[in-house]
Amino acid sequence: MAYSNKVLDHYNHPRNVGSLDKNDAQVGTGMVGAPECGDVMKLQIKVNPETGIIDDAKFKTFGCGSAIASSSLATEWLKGKTVDEALAIKNTDIVSELALPPVKIHCSVLAEDAIKAAINDYKVKQGAAPLLQAH
Amino acid sequence: MRDLLYGMSSLPSDYFAVFGIPVTLALDLPELQRRFYVLSKQYHPDRFGRATAAEQQYALDFTSLLNDAWRVLRDPQARAEYVLQNNGLEAGDSRGNPPPAELLEEVFELNMALEELRQGEAEARGPIREALDRFLALREALDSEREALFLRYDANPAAETLRQLRALLNRRRYIENLVRDAQQALS
Repeated sequence: MAYSNKVLDHYNHPRNVGSLDKNDAQVGTGMVGAPECGDVMKLQIKVNPETGIIDDAKFKTFGCGSAIASSSLATEWLKGKTVDEALAIKNTDIVSELALPPVKIHCSVLAEDAIKAAINDYKVKQGAAPLLQAH
Repeated sequence: MRDLLYGMSSLPSDYFAVFGIPVTLALDLPELQRRFYVLSKQYHPDRFGRATAAEQQYALDFTSLLNDAWRVLRDPQARAEYVLQNNGLEAGDSRGNPPPAELLEEVFELNMALEELRQGEAEARGPIREALDRFLALREALDSEREALFLRYDANPAAETLRQLRALLNRRRYIENLVRDAQQALS
């Protein structure tokens, strides 16, 4: 299958690979996976307590090129956004940005789920009510 | 020969029918094997040397179908996939049934160790071996669970049981891939 240039770029030069301290109260961790392809994706955000803005985002994904590119792009988009703005990121935005083919749409769904899971973890740590599951 | 093929102008419609049994998930393997040998002999194309062209073709088609059916039905995982597919439950669709968080954590750690080993860190072998043991135990537990669902479905073929089986098979395939990766890395 031919990957788009944007997928290849993120795959070859993934942004924000790494991890944040998951015990930090300002850090939210999302761990999601897709049994059908064996992918597992960890995405973390660090929220600035004064501004409520996501200062840092890191990911580590084991999976195909599209899964890596989707999570890499997600971390790029997350930085500088408020938590509520981050919640508005949709998998379809990732699909169009990366020109993902239909068989790879589930990779973008995984990335959206990872964002939601990370925000959920952050909110729970802050004593807020958990998000409703989107999927 | 002629009476053997009498009334059999069309091939059996599913793999279970090939063996002359109803759809059964908890199959008795020795009995299936016995039937396989009997039918293989009965429909062996060599026995149709003097039959009509149509009969020869039927014997050939039946034998090929029998071999496919045997390959699928003797393997519990393939057998279950076959029954699920015939009921419109394709593999892979696990939406609304995400893997449990602790499992994902384990999967992530195993992948990290595999990556370290690939990068030449031999001390990653220990954690991989430990993870492999846990995944093998998990696979065994899933196999007992699968057997229980097989029996439940055979006693009462409910759609809900098939949905549970679908989720279980997806999980097992996930585990199976991890076991394979870990075993490859250690060999």
